[in-house]
Amino acid sequence: MELFESTAASAEVATYGEDAEARKGFFTDTTLCIGCKACEVACKEWNQLPADGYRFTAQSYDNTGELNGTTWRHVAFVEQPEKSRWLMESDVCKHCTHAACLDVCPTGALVRTEYGTVIVQEDICNGCGYCVPACPFGVIDKRETDGHVGKCTLCYDRLRDGETPACAKACPTESIQYGDLDELRRRADARLEKVRADERFTDASLYLRGPDDGIGGAGAFFLLLDKPETYGLPPDPVDTTRDLPVMWRRAAYAMGAIVGAIALCSLGPRG
Amino acid sequence: MNTLSRSSEPAGLERAVSSPPDSYYGRPIVKPHVWTPYIPWYFWIGGTTGAACVHGFVARLRGEDEVADVQRWVAFAGIVTSPVLLILDLGVRRRFLNMLRVFKPTSPMSVGSWVLTALGGAVTGSLIADEILGVPPLARACDAVAALLGPVLTTYTAVLVSNTATPVWHEAHAELPLVFASSGIAGAGACAAAFAPAAQRRSARRMMIGGAIAMGVTAREMETRLGRLGEPYSQGKAGAFKRASSALALTGVAVALLGRKSTAANRVAAALVAAAGICERFAVLDAGKQSAEDPKYVVHQQRETLAEGGRTPLR
Repeated sequence: MELFESTAASAEVATYGEDAEARKGFFTDTTLCIGCKACEVACKEWNQLPADGYRFTAQSYDNTGELNGTTWRHVAFVEQPEKSRWLMESDVCKHCTHAACLDVCPTGALVRTEYGTVIVQEDICNGCGYCVPACPFGVIDKRETDGHVGKCTLCYDRLRDGETPACAKACPTESIQYGDLDELRRRADARLEKVRADERFTDASLYLRGPDDGIGGAGAFFLLLDKPETYGLPPDPVDTTRDLPVMWRRAAYAMGAIVGAIALCSLGPRG
Repeated sequence: MNTLSRSSEPAGLERAVSSPPDSYYGRPIVKPHVWTPYIPWYFWIGGTTGAACVHGFVARLRGEDEVADVQRWVAFAGIVTSPVLLILDLGVRRRFLNMLRVFKPTSPMSVGSWVLTALGGAVTGSLIADEILGVPPLARACDAVAALLGPVLTTYTAVLVSNTATPVWHEAHAELPLVFASSGIAGAGACAAAFAPAAQRRSARRMMIGGAIAMGVTAREMETRLGRLGEPYSQGKAGAFKRASSALALTGVAVALLGRKSTAANRVAAALVAAAGICERFAVLDAGKQSAEDPKYVVHQQRETLAEGGRTPLR
């Protein structure tokens, strides 16, 4: 497990020495989201991401559909007439404490920044696509236009100038809150208590607040009113690399079996 | 449309507006892999190459030099075509050398890139030492290195796909290396059975027949243990490749057993067994895609682990 622990956000940020910063993140409070999609637009504008084209999904007000290589914020709309409510949630890269995309990247294009976030160095990525099925949230994706992968950077360039990421800046209801992760967690705990006090929202929960889940908690976590899968989120996400030692052990048995089987097939007199 | 397009886009208006309770409009939770058909071809070629290195080494030790030479040419063909297939799959092909920019033990693809490079050097070195320089001891040393790295090349691809969030792959991490190992042995056996002289064909035939049978048995074991998660192996494209693989393997084994002494029969059997292995790799890749595209597999598997107390690392 040592190798796995060495890839945790805290360990990687520590390698920056004096340049290390407090871990930054998003707290997305879905109870405050009004589905205006200002975050989607601000993200596209700031990061100069191309439009996805016009399409009609017939899935409530969601014509964006999913996060992908050129869409780094996605507002989900869940209509629940039986509960007389609509759920709205602005989804984003989780900037996992244990990030599978970063672990499996063979080129070192995906890196942990001094803020504890995960970014793609677009001039290094060769588009091998390994991170795409590795991400437990289906966030990162290969871009058809330039062949490499793309995802939310938590506006790394803005952070370095002391600015707030574009989506959080544009959010009119403070559904998307940006800040030091420790502070955000405190704020989220207080908010959860308040929301749960209302008898309609006793099922409310903090999703990926960490550190006890399969990714060790996320840099971007959420206050949800329903089950994660209702919003298209995995109920028990795991950084696959956690299980890598077991996988190599099983492969080692298979390697032994290859040598043994071929030796066995070669037994007997020549012929 | 190119290979990056997805079938996840639901059909327009006939789809109900209401979202089913266990998913978001039936949309995928994890992304399906974006690899092109070059990758299953590489998986088979790489697997065959690795096993051919081991077989060549053992044959040389036993003094069956013709078999050893055949397997060295098979391995050489493998290490020449493999990088080409891998580069063709990249999104930015001119950056293929970035694969050797770092060594990352947490990335099976990084480990595999280095193993393929080292094995390529060993096989090429053995050929040059024997055919050009005429220094047999150097060739034998290269053969030994190739035989050590061969099994890694044959099985690392199973670790590579298991180390993802794709349910049908991740949950099959215990059996998948054995499936790939069997297929590799069968592939190398088939190559040697097709090209080695009749007097030195026995070990190759055993590998071809035994490997083909083992591939079927281990794959069946994998699907059984996967239970509901293994459904994609009997559906859609994955199911079609699976059935083709089984039929080809069975026919190949039958032809090999009936035409034991006939070179023509051995070659037909070799082609059938090789095709079975290729179909098996395509089945694995397509099953992964189907498994990721339907959110019910992700939710089913994760809800089950949560119910069992969940989140404990595998042992």
